[in-house]
Amino acid sequence: MPKFSVLIIEDEKNIQHFMSKILKRQDYRVLCSDTGKEGLELIRSQCPDIILLDLGLPDMDGDEIIRSVRTWSSIPIIVISARSAEDEKVCALDLGADDYITKPFGTSELLARIRASLRHSNRLMTDSELYIRPYRCGEMVLDFSKRLLTIADRKVHLTPIEYKIVAFLARNSGKVMTYSSILSSVWGPYADDDNKILRVNMANIRRKIEKDPAQPKYIFTEVGVGYRMAEDEDE
Amino acid sequence: MQKSCLYRQVFCIILYTLMKKRIFTDTVFTIFMMAAATLFSFVFFHFGNKNSANITIIYTLALIIAALKTSGYLYGVISAVFCVVAVNYFFSYPYFKFNFTLAGYPLTFIGMLAISLITSATTTTLKRQRQAIAEREKELVEADKEKIRANLLRAVSHDLRTPLTGIIGSSSSYLENYHDLSETERTELVTNIKDDSEWLLNMVENLLTVTRIQNDSPNKVRKTPEVVEEVVSEAIQRLQKRHPGVKIRVQMPNNFLMLPMDPTLIEQVLINLMENAFVHSGSTEPMELSIREQEDLVLFRVRDYGKGISEEQMPGLFEGQQPGSTAADGHKGIGIGLTICKTIILAHGGTITASNHENGADFIFTLPKEKENSENA
Repeated sequence: MPKFSVLIIEDEKNIQHFMSKILKRQDYRVLCSDTGKEGLELIRSQCPDIILLDLGLPDMDGDEIIRSVRTWSSIPIIVISARSAEDEKVCALDLGADDYITKPFGTSELLARIRASLRHSNRLMTDSELYIRPYRCGEMVLDFSKRLLTIADRKVHLTPIEYKIVAFLARNSGKVMTYSSILSSVWGPYADDDNKILRVNMANIRRKIEKDPAQPKYIFTEVGVGYRMAEDEDE
Repeated sequence: MQKSCLYRQVFCIILYTLMKKRIFTDTVFTIFMMAAATLFSFVFFHFGNKNSANITIIYTLALIIAALKTSGYLYGVISAVFCVVAVNYFFSYPYFKFNFTLAGYPLTFIGMLAISLITSATTTTLKRQRQAIAEREKELVEADKEKIRANLLRAVSHDLRTPLTGIIGSSSSYLENYHDLSETERTELVTNIKDDSEWLLNMVENLLTVTRIQNDSPNKVRKTPEVVEEVVSEAIQRLQKRHPGVKIRVQMPNNFLMLPMDPTLIEQVLINLMENAFVHSGSTEPMELSIREQEDLVLFRVRDYGKGISEEQMPGLFEGQQPGSTAADGHKGIGIGLTICKTIILAHGGTITASNHENGADFIFTLPKEKENSENA
């Protein structure tokens, strides 16, 4: 298997080093850049498989990099941001970033995010078995072809809207999905901006699939941003 | 420099407009009072008796009111002159003619002038005193705020220095004595560094949340309607990331519950309370988080089954006044976490209390429902 290449755009040397050490150990090919300008050049010349982008760069706005990359490429971008900046995250995601990771993060979290984003980008390229192979996580199995959700072999009845939401999250498992992306995928592009209807539906879904809705195992909330479904285990 | 100059200009313009406005309203008011008095007098004079003493009383009344309501002496004096002239011209024989030779006329004039001057003087002093008192109160509040801020800063820098000392000590001993240390000792040192930095991170996050509260604006926090279980679940998730061993039993109403709040802040409160329960209760029994809906508020209770809160801790628990270093369990300051909880809950218009039950501690906070929010908005 060819090595995946990762580009880290981060001005803080310590963080850059620690990330590249972790990634090299996992057999990724690592490229580093301290500035946005150099980063953009590296993206153009090296075409990395995935980009880790810190939003607070000294020379240019991280949003600008996302915007400029998205004009010609769908390379997955994971944004690195500080907590308590929900607006910043949502903005980056809406611009086309694939996911975000909050500082400070642990090794396993970083690797999981990279895996999830790489997997989804590959699926997009090779029109794959995604719709045929069911989603599996813990006791939950979602069979896309039969439109059937089972938990511990027990069938769970979902309304058509609820199924659409769960299926959309499962197809993007491991990645955060913003309220607006879920709304437009389920209710169509002219959906209302008000996400209350989505939250009511999510509450109902949680009651059907989670044993304890306050400590979910399958669908997690990222308050102010959106929802994230647990990573598909069949990989 | 330019900016401050600009501010000063704007300030002057505002002040000037205000003064102009003041002059305008005062003038209008004075004219109105005089006109009203004259009108009233005419009606009275026409239908009632033709005694000019009564008319003088009416004018005196109008004069007092005008002097009370306006600022400075000028309006009062002008009004007094007008009153004397009006009484003379309109209401004393010969009508619609001046006659300054009437018996006792100078007395009326001097009397009216004196009344207006005394009234103006009294109101002006009163106003000045009131202003002075208000200013002094404002200064006191400012000084209090400054004191609280300084205390907080002192407490924080002290609390920050402790883990930093640990981190620097452990790392330098790791670097300098690398070869003399056994494998377990090295692991121990690095573990210490990790623990201390996690504690630091927790502290910094707590402090950052405080910056989201704006004490100056009427809406202290930016409230958005949030689903309670989502906020709770994220709080639990983040706590379990930090302390994988935490066990929490959650009880909450089965219906869909939305509350206006700043989710980041409320999450911080929940994390602080649950972390306290985990770290300081000295018990491995799972804690309980229960949420109850009442008519106009929602009640959150974190209950642990540990050793409870001691008598001497209780009084200043939320004020960050921990009596000395009696933290018997050897953990660093819990004070700041609870102080921040209180600040956050108060800014949301809720309440927070602590108490002991038979076998452990109870922390209860409430958040008001939608109604309060619409009042604020």
